[in-house]
Amino acid sequence: MSSGSTSRAHIPLENSITEAGASLESILCTPELQRRPSRPPDYEKERRALVALMSALADSPTTIFETLAETILDITQCDSAGLSLLTRDGKKPDACGKRFYWPAIAGMWNPHIGGGTPRDFGPCGDVLDQNRTLLFRHFERRYPYLRPVVPAAEECLLVPFYVAGEAVGTIWAIMHNDSRKFDAEDDRVMASLGKFASSAYQALVHIEDLTFQIAEREKAEAEVRKLAKGLEAKVRRLVDANVVGIVMWNVEGAITEANEAFLQMVQYSREDLAHGRVRWPDLTPPKWRDSDERALAELRATGIFQAFEKEFFRKDGGRVPVLLGGALFEANGKEGVAFVLDLTEQKRAQERLQETQQTLYTTQVELARVSRLTAMGELTASIAHEVNQPLTAITNNGNACLRLLANHNLDPGVLREALDEIVADGTRASAVISRIRAFIKKTPAQKSLLHINDVIQEVLDLAAHEIQENKILVERQFTHSSTLVLADRVQLQQVLLNLIMNAIEAMTAVTNRARVLCVQSVIDKCSDVLVAVRDSGIGISADRDRFFTPFFTTKANGMGMGLPITRSLIEGHGGRLWAEPNSPNGAVFSFTLPVASGVAHA
Amino acid sequence: MPRTPVVFVVDDDPSVRSSLKFLISTVGLEVETFESAETALQELSPEAPGCLVLDVRLRGLSGLDLQGELAARNCQVPIVFITGHGDIPMTVRAMKAGAVEFLTKPFRDQDLLDAIRTALQRDSARREHENEMRELQQRFDLLTSREREVVSLVAAGKLNKQIADQLGTAENTIKVHRSRAMEKLRADSLPDLVRMIEKLKEFSHAG
Repeated sequence: MSSGSTSRAHIPLENSITEAGASLESILCTPELQRRPSRPPDYEKERRALVALMSALADSPTTIFETLAETILDITQCDSAGLSLLTRDGKKPDACGKRFYWPAIAGMWNPHIGGGTPRDFGPCGDVLDQNRTLLFRHFERRYPYLRPVVPAAEECLLVPFYVAGEAVGTIWAIMHNDSRKFDAEDDRVMASLGKFASSAYQALVHIEDLTFQIAEREKAEAEVRKLAKGLEAKVRRLVDANVVGIVMWNVEGAITEANEAFLQMVQYSREDLAHGRVRWPDLTPPKWRDSDERALAELRATGIFQAFEKEFFRKDGGRVPVLLGGALFEANGKEGVAFVLDLTEQKRAQERLQETQQTLYTTQVELARVSRLTAMGELTASIAHEVNQPLTAITNNGNACLRLLANHNLDPGVLREALDEIVADGTRASAVISRIRAFIKKTPAQKSLLHINDVIQEVLDLAAHEIQENKILVERQFTHSSTLVLADRVQLQQVLLNLIMNAIEAMTAVTNRARVLCVQSVIDKCSDVLVAVRDSGIGISADRDRFFTPFFTTKANGMGMGLPITRSLIEGHGGRLWAEPNSPNGAVFSFTLPVASGVAHA
Repeated sequence: MPRTPVVFVVDDDPSVRSSLKFLISTVGLEVETFESAETALQELSPEAPGCLVLDVRLRGLSGLDLQGELAARNCQVPIVFITGHGDIPMTVRAMKAGAVEFLTKPFRDQDLLDAIRTALQRDSARREHENEMRELQQRFDLLTSREREVVSLVAAGKLNKQIADQLGTAENTIKVHRSRAMEKLRADSLPDLVRMIEKLKEFSHAG
C-alpha cells in the first residue's frame, strides 16, 4: 500500500472516494478521551500560548493560522497540528463550500499545506455534521484518499471552528504513533483554542473587511481627488481665460472672488475686491432689484438660477448690461458661483438695428405721405384741366355777348348761338364732375375689417410733417371699443387725410391762440362709429352745406372738390359727413360709419 | 394796299376755339381757327400779317413745339399763349422764345384782347420796318461800285478831300459821286445819308 503512495499522491483526492471501506464507527474512538488517564492542565503554558496568539493577531493577523497551528502543536505535544477551512474559492471561509482547505499546518504534516478534504466525505465533514469534537483512529481506513498523506495519522483529534455562529472549519491535532494518546485535557485545550481561533478569525475577518473598506474608500477618495483636481484645473482655466466674468459670491451680498473679466466689466480693482468693496446688491441698480429677488428665490428652491439679463453699476456710476446665471455650491448653502456676460456690444447692435428699422419706417411713412399727396395733386390737376376748357368757353362767349350788347350790336341769332354754346359748355363742365365722382365711386373698394383708431393713427403719421411744420397740437380721444368697421382702407385714409389737411390749413392763419387738432372716435347713439375732426382754425360760415357743393372753396388755391369727393366716399360706405362750428373757435367735420358686426356675422 | 391782319387761333377744344373766334370778332378782327399745330403750320405763311393765339396743350405737336418750328421757318408771327394749367418753367420758356403774353384759362377777356392788340402792333411794326428796309436796299442796289465806296467813307466821317486822297482822285469828282448817290438814295441831307447807310449795315448783319 505504501509502495504506491507517492504515485497516488498526485491523483485528485476525490478519485479514490469509491475505494472507501471501513465504517465511520470503526474509525471513531471519541469516548476513550474520557476513559484515558489525563495529564494535569498546565494553565501557565496555556496562558502564554493565548498571549502569543493575541499578540500575533495584533501584530501580523495574516499569520494567525500558522501561530494557531504551532500553539496546538506546542500545548498538546502532538506530531502535527493544523486548520481546515471550508471554502468555495480556497480563500475565504464559506459554510456552503464544497472542500476543506488547509491554510496552515505545523509539525510533520507541514509539507501538506494547501491540501485538503472533500466536505461530504472526510473527518472534517464528520465533525461539522455532528457539530462536536471527534477523535479518529487511522481515518485513512475509511477515507483512502488520505493514505498518500504521510506519515499516517494514528490518532487525530478535531474540534469545530465557527465564524459568525456558523461552523466553517476545524482545528486538529495528530499523533502519528501510539507512544502518546490524546486525553480529556487535550479535548479541553482544543475546545478552548477552537473558541479562541473562532473569535480571532472573526476579528481577522473584521480587520480584513475594514482594511478592504479603508482601501476601497481611499481608492474612491483618490479618484474623487483626481477628478476634483482635473475639474479644478478646468474651472481655473475657464476663470483665468476671462472669456466670461466669473464671480464667487454669497447670499449675504459679498463677492468673494472674481476674475479679471468681471472686474474690467464693472471697472473695480482687485484691491477693491480684496477689501470687500465689491458687493452685488450695491452693483445692482434699483430697477433690477426685483430680478435679483426672483433669482434668489429660484436659488433657494432649486440651487441654481437661470441666466437672466440685468445691469450692473460700474465704479464710475455708468451701467453695463449683462447676462447673469449661476448656482449654489451646495443645496441650501450660502455660497455660489456665477458667470457674467457683458452684453454691451449686443445691446449696441440691437439698438443700431432698431434705429435702422425706425429710419426705414419713417422713410416708408414719408414715402406713403408724399405719394398720397402727389396722387391728390395729380387728381386736382386733371380736374382743373378738364373743367377749365368749358369754363373758358363759357367766359369767352359771355364776354363776347356783353361787348356786343354794350355796342348795341347784338343780333338775336348771334346771341342764341352763344347761349346755346354756353349751355352746352355748362352741361359739359358738370358732366366732367359727374364723371370724376362716378370714377371715384367705381374704383373697386377693397373693403376689409378695420379698427378706426388704427386708420386715424396712420393718417396722423402721414400728416406728421404738416402737423409739425405748422406747430399744431394733436389731441387723440379714441374710443376704447374694439368695434370694427368694414371699409376700404385707402379711401378711409383719403377721407381722414382730406379732413385733417383742411383742418391744418384752416389753422395756419391763426396766430393768437393755440392750434389744436382734435381727432375723436366714439360709438354714437345709433351704435355707429363716429369720427370728429376738430380744429381751432378760422371757422366756417353759416352756410355749411355749401362746403360739399363742387367748386365751392374758401381757399385761394382750392378747387372745391375735396369735400364733395370726401362726402361721396363716406356715403359710398353707408355713412354721413357733415360740418359744424367748433366751440369756441374753428370747425368740426364729422362722419359716421356703420359698424361691421352685421357683416361679420353674415 | 396792305393786307388785313388776321388772328390765328390754335386750340384743340372746339368750344374754346369757337368761343375765342366769337370773342375776338366782337372787336372787329378777322379770326381764323386751327384745331392742331400741324394744320396751322400748313396754312400759315410768313407774308400773312397777324398774330397767333396758341394753346400750349394740344394733341400732336404742342404749342411750344409750334413756336419753335415757326422760328425755324423764319416766320416771325407774334404769339399769345393760353393754357389751362401753366407752370412757371413753361411760361419762362415761352416768353424767352419771344411770346407776347402767357394767359391762364379762364382769363379775363380784356387781357386777351389787349395781348392780341399788342401782338398785332408788334407784327405791323415789324412788317413796316421790313418794307422800309427792302425799299432802301432797292435804292442802294442802283448805286455804282464807286458811289458805294464813296458813301461808305462819307458815313465813316471822312471829308471829301480825305476821300479824294485815299481814292487817288480829285475832290470835285468825289463831290459828284456823293451828290449822285444821295439823289439815288433820296437822302435829303448828309445826316440822313449816314443814317440810311447805318440802317442798311444793321439790316444786312441781322438778315
